[in-house]
Amino acid sequence: MKVSVIRILLKHELRILSRNKVLLSLSTLIIFILLSALWIGSSMLRKQEQTISKIQSSEREMLDSLKTRIRRVEANHMVYPGFIWDDPTFAYNTARNEGPNYAIKRPFPLQALNVGQSDVQPFYYKVYLNKKQYLTFESEIENSFLQFIGNFDFAFVVIYLFPLLIIVFSYNVLSSEKEQGTWVLLKTSNQSLAQMMICRIVIRYILFTGFFWLLVTPVLIASIGSNFLFSANWQWIVAGVSLYFAFWFALALLVNSFSLTSNVNAMVLIFIWLFTGIIIPNLLQIGLNKIYPIPSRIDMLTAERDAINKYFEKDGQELTKSVFSSPRTMIRQASIVTPGMVYGYGVIVYKSQEIKDQAAAVAEEKLYAQIRKQQEGIRRFQLLSPALMMQEELAALTGSHWYQFNQFSNDAATFRKKSQQFYYPKMASESTYRSFTLKDADAIPRFQPRVYADFSWINIRQNFCIYLGIIVFLSFIGYRRLLEAKK
Amino acid sequence: MIRLIFKKELKELFRTAKVVWMLGGIIVLLLLALYNGNSYYENHSTLIRESQEMTYQQFISQGDKNPHLGAHFGFYAYKPTADMAMIENGIEDYTGNSFYLEPHKRGVVKFKEISDATGLRSFGFLNIGYLAQFILPLFIFLICHNIFSKEWENGTIKMLLSSKASARQIFMGKLLSCLTLVMALVLFIALSSLILFAKEHHTAGLLNRVLPAFTCYLLGLSLFAAMMTTIGVSVSLLTRNANLSLIVLYGFWLIGVFLLPRLAGELSKNIHPAMTSLEFENQTFNEKQYGVGNEGHKDVRREKLLQQTMQQYQVKRIEDLPVFFIPITIEFFEESDAAVMDRAYKAVDDNEARQDRLVLSSAWLTPFLAFRDFSMRITATDMDTHNDFTAKAEIHRRKIGVIVDDYYQKNTVAGNAFWKTVPQFAYTAPGIGWRLSHAAGSIFILLGWTLFSIGLMVYAYRKLTV
Repeated sequence: MKVSVIRILLKHELRILSRNKVLLSLSTLIIFILLSALWIGSSMLRKQEQTISKIQSSEREMLDSLKTRIRRVEANHMVYPGFIWDDPTFAYNTARNEGPNYAIKRPFPLQALNVGQSDVQPFYYKVYLNKKQYLTFESEIENSFLQFIGNFDFAFVVIYLFPLLIIVFSYNVLSSEKEQGTWVLLKTSNQSLAQMMICRIVIRYILFTGFFWLLVTPVLIASIGSNFLFSANWQWIVAGVSLYFAFWFALALLVNSFSLTSNVNAMVLIFIWLFTGIIIPNLLQIGLNKIYPIPSRIDMLTAERDAINKYFEKDGQELTKSVFSSPRTMIRQASIVTPGMVYGYGVIVYKSQEIKDQAAAVAEEKLYAQIRKQQEGIRRFQLLSPALMMQEELAALTGSHWYQFNQFSNDAATFRKKSQQFYYPKMASESTYRSFTLKDADAIPRFQPRVYADFSWINIRQNFCIYLGIIVFLSFIGYRRLLEAKK
Repeated sequence: MIRLIFKKELKELFRTAKVVWMLGGIIVLLLLALYNGNSYYENHSTLIRESQEMTYQQFISQGDKNPHLGAHFGFYAYKPTADMAMIENGIEDYTGNSFYLEPHKRGVVKFKEISDATGLRSFGFLNIGYLAQFILPLFIFLICHNIFSKEWENGTIKMLLSSKASARQIFMGKLLSCLTLVMALVLFIALSSLILFAKEHHTAGLLNRVLPAFTCYLLGLSLFAAMMTTIGVSVSLLTRNANLSLIVLYGFWLIGVFLLPRLAGELSKNIHPAMTSLEFENQTFNEKQYGVGNEGHKDVRREKLLQQTMQQYQVKRIEDLPVFFIPITIEFFEESDAAVMDRAYKAVDDNEARQDRLVLSSAWLTPFLAFRDFSMRITATDMDTHNDFTAKAEIHRRKIGVIVDDYYQKNTVAGNAFWKTVPQFAYTAPGIGWRLSHAAGSIFILLGWTLFSIGLMVYAYRKLTV
């Protein structure tokens, strides 16, 4: 096709698009929505960063307070004036009070585009020795009803709303010519009708996608800085989203090529949107839940509690007796808390926790294995639903996917073990009971926060190529049908 | 005349291939929704029932222990799966269902199932409630969008208007034909759900709890479906163009189902921001440790309590007390700490209620949200029912605290005989009267939308001219 014809088509497209009032109103609305989504995403990111900064400053304050209190006790001949359970020279007390540190997942700046799992998974844990974080964590104080409604972010706008705009943009490219009676006129042209239609769709795609990125990129730079521009994550986001838009344009071309009425075209496209965007993910959910049911965390609790009851039938009873019945601990006195009692509780808690951790590890592995299998299932079948694939990729590329939160959770579990190894020997030191020193306070393990934005596990290249292939195939079929339509 | 138009339209609807396909599709989805909802209910209710029994058995068979240590072993209060969760599970998976009954620690409901769900969950959970709120309105719009506009496009409008039928009769005939199709689906939902309820619940439970609530649910669903049909038919008449009508109705659906609720949710988060967990923890710790107002530091209060207790028993040394002092302090601080925690949780709950109210107020712009809220409240899968469960579980936790501390004042070892005196927890969701009163806001909005749809209908058929 000649450049001059393309130029004429471009002018023609610009003119008819600018004269379509429904389209213009819808575009204005969606632009407003897109900008709102970007603003909401970047506000959430900023809020997370502020919370992390507050956590770090709180940790520093806690450490300072701990050291000051230990210094005061040491200067006062090891006499602690307050309640014995608050005395920081007992390792057990420090492990419960000022000792627990935070494990933090630093947000990736592009998280501003997609909330993903970050509203239901915690981005920080306070790591306690005697509490498994998966059994105790609660993410930020979130309103369950608002979580249920869902988030309003860039990903939602792209996945749900933009296909609607594309449908309005392209459902009647060919049918409107027929309905307005200009089709006969077009047939007298010496240009290929099929090529002209393809060209019109491509022009619309370029205009649409170009305008989209011209709008999104500067707004994003203004809200989160420009560093993301050079990351592979951003480049794949641009490629993935552009491909997603291309899919809908190619589908519109194919539907148009069947020479149906505009109304039927629109209905078919809406049905495909509904089927691929809502029904397939739901069917997949039903299937995966049936094949790989995810056990409840209640099972872990039951396993833990069973183990602890068994332990207290014999070994635990003996330990309790030896610790609590000792004249030194005076536990049975139950009016004055003695140093031995603090030590005794520490030993019991430490031993019980070891038992509980071992018992829960089996149930925990079962839970995560099932989730991993479901994730694997999603990866295998996501090609059936462009919306699902887009959601999975955007989550992975913005660092808010379940895998990344799971990595963080594993790191937090490792950190907890490290903390246990640090505190347990000190808690079990019977010689003095009060074994925690200033030097120990400085040696309390700290978590090294990091960003979790690796996406090497999603086979993004393969998905991209497959979808590109699907788009080329849809366009080719559409083109062939348009060649037929000329007759 | 209305009957004639009604018959003609109904025949035409059933002779349109796309309508028959859509009807087939939605029936398949309905069956899937019933299956999925039923599986959900069976799995969850069995798990919760068995776990409630198991956790209590573990507690009462823990053997000889220091009473306080044994109380810390505690047990869980599990929120029973709602009676009607097989058709609507609302926010059940977002709230968690396990409340730890442990001394001097205000329980928090844990284990939100959504935390272990994959990204698929963000696409919704297919059950009758989801189908009624999301898919059914779209199905209605797809059926109704060209019920009038086709007359203009086929050039039959003049013929229709020149007949003996009045504009109102034409409108009513077409509306009733669409309504018949839609209500047939509602009837299908009603009958199939009833079969499931009868299968899962014993007769007394079915008659006393499920049927009254389900009747209200069906009334609400019928009203909602009729309203959607009226809007669809009216828009079809007003636009006189199938494409425009489809875009307007589809846009209305998309905005109402997805866009507006989410936007309102974000807005409410910004207008009524929640405090962070860190702030919550620091604030409650400080209030408990340093006291509120003139209460003084915990150490000061403990000393004061000791003096009072010694005075009460007329002794001069703690060792001479006829009861153990530690359980007395535990009980004392249980009360003062509980006041701090109650205040803090009330602030969180109040803020969430403000957020929810703001979101619900956006239902004046979209009836979908009002129906969703109504559906959750009637099926007891809403936030208010969850808060009711939390409040009752917390009362039970404190009751256990008192029982154990009273015992601990005179005994340092508790055996299974004592543990068995601690009562099991049982929860039943409030009845239909309570649910209806809590759903008053959404019912009011739904009635407002019904009036709007009637107004739109009258306005539309008055415009029925060539």
